[in-house]
Amino acid sequence: MSQSLDIIHDEHRAIAAMLSGMRSLAAGIAAGRLKPDFGLFDDMLRYIEEVPEKVHHPKENEFLFARLLPRCPEAAAVIAELEEEHRQGEARMALVRKAMAAYQQQGAAGFEGFNAALVHYIEQEWKHMNTEEKQIFPLARTHLTAEDWAAIDAAFLANDNPWQGAAGEYAALFTRIVNEAPAPVGLGGS
Amino acid sequence: MSNMLLEAKEVHTYYGASHILHGIDFHIRQGEGIALMGRNGMGKSTLIKSMLGIVRPRHGRVLVRGDDFTKAPTYKTAQRGIAYVPEGRGIFPNLSVRENLQMAARAGLDGRREWTFDRVMSTFPRLGERINNGGWQLSGGEQQMLTIGRALMTNPDLLILDEATEGLAPLIAMEIWRIVKEIRKTGIATVIVDKNHGAVTSICDRAMILVKGQVVFDGTSEAVRADPELIQKHLGV
Repeated sequence: MSQSLDIIHDEHRAIAAMLSGMRSLAAGIAAGRLKPDFGLFDDMLRYIEEVPEKVHHPKENEFLFARLLPRCPEAAAVIAELEEEHRQGEARMALVRKAMAAYQQQGAAGFEGFNAALVHYIEQEWKHMNTEEKQIFPLARTHLTAEDWAAIDAAFLANDNPWQGAAGEYAALFTRIVNEAPAPVGLGGS
Repeated sequence: MSNMLLEAKEVHTYYGASHILHGIDFHIRQGEGIALMGRNGMGKSTLIKSMLGIVRPRHGRVLVRGDDFTKAPTYKTAQRGIAYVPEGRGIFPNLSVRENLQMAARAGLDGRREWTFDRVMSTFPRLGERINNGGWQLSGGEQQMLTIGRALMTNPDLLILDEATEGLAPLIAMEIWRIVKEIRKTGIATVIVDKNHGAVTSICDRAMILVKGQVVFDGTSEAVRADPELIQKHLGV
């Protein structure tokens, strides 16, 4: 049994909550209930850029996938697919950023493009996390040895609680987003 | 001296003719965290209410710190250092955030006052921004924070959270779980009733699963997380 899989799962929940929040805000704008808050979207995108893209994915590649591959060659295809998605992460996020900049410039006319880019990004992330949890986790539990888990867990735990950030910066960013996002998505005024 | 805080022994509880709990055994010691899980209608909240004297078990015993509390009124249980955050919150809507918190303030059973007004404010900075607002003016997430803050003001040894994030958006729920995790680190024993097995098993060391008023699993949270079949069978939707 592994603490590292628990950590990955916890981080997935935080990422999923952020993605779900962005989707709800975009839906609120589409329905005319909310006005766009670009500062808030910027914070939410930054959270995704900082936590999953820079901390979470490299950890999966370097420790979990690297140990699993030699123990379970049949996982090669799915690992290759996931690693490619990790590599493409920044580029995919850049498309959302570009669409948001266009939305900011064009006003309401730019919403459709932004919404489409955002929804596409969110769906890809959901699929990605689902593949890890439904395919990689069971293979890892079956094929990795106690020695593997000890090494992976040590590496994950040495990472000093990345969900919080070394100085609590990610947790602070998360809290700020929760406080700013309008109710019922967050605690802010609607 | 035993460090047992709360126990249920062979508890059977009924609502009218409906037999809800079928001989449940439960215990929690000082500092422990228990995730009490199960699908809707399996008896989780009824077990909590039976142990707190809100619903009377027809058979079995409830012990608080080793003393028989089976027939004790709820306030007596609260006075023994057990704080309850009920499903559906239950703040005082006509009182301000400050008043809701201050009226709950009291020393713990051993006289300690670790949870002060200021400490609750620093744990829930959002409440600080709403300090003079009436309870009725708070959003669902803020009300939940206030309810937890109010429970902490009693300086409890055991905090029971019943469906703490029910009906809240995922972002708010994650924030509440993060705060509860911090509270757990202070050593307060905690029972968390929730359907979100991922969240509660990451906070609690022990887990219990109820199915139709019976305990079908009592073990470590780690064992639950490593057993997708168990999760699918008893907690999956």
